[in-house]
Amino acid sequence: MLPVLRRCCPGPVPLPALAAALGPGPFPGLCPGWSPRAVPARGRKTRHDPPSKSKAGRVNLPPPVDPEELLVVQERYRQYRLVLDALRAEFRAEVLQKKREERLAAEDSAEELEEHRRLMAWNDEENARQQKRREERARKEEEEQKRRKLEIAEKQARKMEAFLEEKEKEVLQLQEEAKTFITPENLEARIEECLDNPRNYNFAIDKDGRIVKRTVLS
Amino acid sequence: MPMKGRFPVRRTLQYLSQGDVVFKSSVKVMTVNYNTAGELSEGARKFVFFNIPQIQYKNPWVQIMLFRNMTPSPFLRFYLDNGEQVLVDVEDKTNKEITEHVKKILGKSKEMLEKEERERKKLSHPATFGPKKYHLRECMCEIEGQVPCPAFVPLPKEMRGKYKAAMKNEA
Repeated sequence: MLPVLRRCCPGPVPLPALAAALGPGPFPGLCPGWSPRAVPARGRKTRHDPPSKSKAGRVNLPPPVDPEELLVVQERYRQYRLVLDALRAEFRAEVLQKKREERLAAEDSAEELEEHRRLMAWNDEENARQQKRREERARKEEEEQKRRKLEIAEKQARKMEAFLEEKEKEVLQLQEEAKTFITPENLEARIEECLDNPRNYNFAIDKDGRIVKRTVLS
Repeated sequence: MPMKGRFPVRRTLQYLSQGDVVFKSSVKVMTVNYNTAGELSEGARKFVFFNIPQIQYKNPWVQIMLFRNMTPSPFLRFYLDNGEQVLVDVEDKTNKEITEHVKKILGKSKEMLEKEERERKKLSHPATFGPKKYHLRECMCEIEGQVPCPAFVPLPKEMRGKYKAAMKNEA
């Protein structure tokens, strides 16, 4: 017996009593089913409420099945579904293949490759131009650097020169002043000279530095 | 709280969708070598900061890698699927120039993008209605010129089932 048909076998419940109790069912004799009038409906209780005591021994059996008919119907359905699945797979594969071919054709076309090569050539040219610009910049930088170095060296030289000149001038000035120094040799002569020419420091000056008043030396 | 980072506009969808560089399908990896300091790398830095989010948004399947302070001069390198490598020197260029250059050599042209858009549109019919995932409208009541949804505008009683049933019962 087919395993699916086992569901239809009645359990330990006395069936004839139940069959007699229910109204006219679609399959008389074997098992009670839901009559067309009464369909499952929740009604008063929720799904969480326990079933009532009157349903304690209730056995809900599925509708009865004719085994030969079932076999025949299953075989037919199997063949039908086999054919349909095969057709579907066939069509799917065809569509995918077409799409793939189209995509590849679009990518591998000669003009695309040509275009790509042209663009790459342009890119290389651009890189070459950039290289030239970079070399130009580097060269300018170098020149700038050299120029700056030269300038610095010149400035340094000039500074040294100016410094030396300064020092020279100071030395000369000192030499000049040295002529008026008082040495032990001309000490007495200078003292005599000072005593002979008394200088008068008693004068007043205004804001511009001109001498305004002189007091007579007493 | 919703604004993060120095230029949070870069995170907005509007900004991202304004990127116009869509790479050809042969480009797989993009590598950017740039320096974080230096006047010559300024354009590259701006490119990385402002334009790479747009590019990545438009090309989610392209891998983009950034390398900082590894070479004295900045450059971009693209790796195509046939093994070819494309070098782009970006020293002393502004970020706009860089994007234009990249778009020219490796981006899909406008015609191609439009063609693809048209192909995509052909797949779905705008007049059909159904689940939001596949159609523009879900119910017939949303279509202009059709009977409005009875949830908002009650149907005239001639179209209602209970009136028709009452009429039939009467007759």
